[in-house]
Amino acid sequence: MKLEFIVNDKHEIIDVYPGERLLDALRNKLGLTSVKEGCGEGECGACTIIMDGAAVTSCTILAMQAKGKEIITTEGLEKSGELDILQESFMKNGAIQCGYCTPGMLMSSKALLIKNPNPTKEEIKRAIEGNLCRCTGYTKIINAVLDAIER
Amino acid sequence: MSEIIIKTPDNLEALIECLVCANENTGLISGGTDFVIQLSQRKRYRGTIIDLSRINDLKYVKEDKDVIRIGSGTTLTDISENKLIKKYLPSLSQAAGQVGSTQIRNRGTIAGNIGNASPCADTIPPLMSVGASLKIVSGEGKIYEKTIDEVVIGSGRNNLKFDEAIVEIVFPKLSNDYISAFAKLGTRKAVTISKINAAVALKYSPKEKLIEDAKVYLGALGPKSFRSEIVEEALNNKIPSKELLKYFSKALTKQVDISIAGRSSQVYKREAIKGIGHDIFYKLFGNVVPGGDS
Repeated sequence: MKLEFIVNDKHEIIDVYPGERLLDALRNKLGLTSVKEGCGEGECGACTIIMDGAAVTSCTILAMQAKGKEIITTEGLEKSGELDILQESFMKNGAIQCGYCTPGMLMSSKALLIKNPNPTKEEIKRAIEGNLCRCTGYTKIINAVLDAIER
Repeated sequence: MSEIIIKTPDNLEALIECLVCANENTGLISGGTDFVIQLSQRKRYRGTIIDLSRINDLKYVKEDKDVIRIGSGTTLTDISENKLIKKYLPSLSQAAGQVGSTQIRNRGTIAGNIGNASPCADTIPPLMSVGASLKIVSGEGKIYEKTIDEVVIGSGRNNLKFDEAIVEIVFPKLSNDYISAFAKLGTRKAVTISKINAAVALKYSPKEKLIEDAKVYLGALGPKSFRSEIVEEALNNKIPSKELLKYFSKALTKQVDISIAGRSSQVYKREAIKGIGHDIFYKLFGNVVPGGDS
């Protein structure tokens, strides 16, 4: 089946099979390997992307359901060679350890800031509830988001 | 390899056309937050998937004279943030806001939560507590209403035929002197499947200080959410106080003992439900009974 959608500001047309997950289509057909598979059941948030402005887990969505939608992955955060302020802030605040959860954390945080540019600490915590960090680096991740708001 | 056909109706008429051809191998999805996981774990699936997520006409919360109407495709995020639902059925708003994570609530829909009919579905107890009904459309184009209690069988089953789909959830607007609350308990604070959940709706006017017409529904203590008359009796015709909280908690424990007698989870749940009682009690009466912080 032909899937036409916008990924990181680019118009894309790819072939997917009907039962294919959006996660697999993004990774295997478009090479967007920032989208990680962790649990594969919507619990861990490693595969989080932004679809039409909202954070969603790409492992619980069929590729075909993304038809006509606008998708942002971590690859799309960088604009004309400049990293997004969240990416800078994650690096500066040591919010990355093994890095597996990082793209998902970035996407959940980015979706929050799109909806609410001035979130409280509680709102940040709620936004990343669905993202597990096995290194347990939550404090630094929350600090990184708070820092990004200030900048 | 692929024996799956996906149909994506974008309006109600197109949905009915899809339902005409439905058979026992037809599955309905909207957000897909449960179905897609099952699909990828089962590896093989043959049949037709009708994807309702493109029907924008099914995404709404509307106020009528006596009822609130929710389109079946309304996401749990939209339900938890909706002002009408916060006003008329806070318990539903609270329940929707505690399903899964932000990512799941952004995709998962109310009809999906109902149709999946999990014993621990969080939106079901609040809806049952006000006698909500479901508007169902069939492949013949007929639209009829059934109570949520009729449709939900429990243990992951509903009694919809394969050519039927939920299109609307309807519940009565309660008068100003009704209040409601929901609480759940899982293995962690967030993103958790309920081990117990509960919704209470009752009449309480601060003037008369008396509780009346309490409706209590408990989930995850059987195949589906059920009404607890024992707990309702414990609340009715009482004045909110710390003593009442104790009495209410005791009744909850008693209900657990009756409902899951002899189950290994009984030992845990008969104690744990006191925490749910505490949460609900202070959500309802935090402004009249001191001590809700513990």
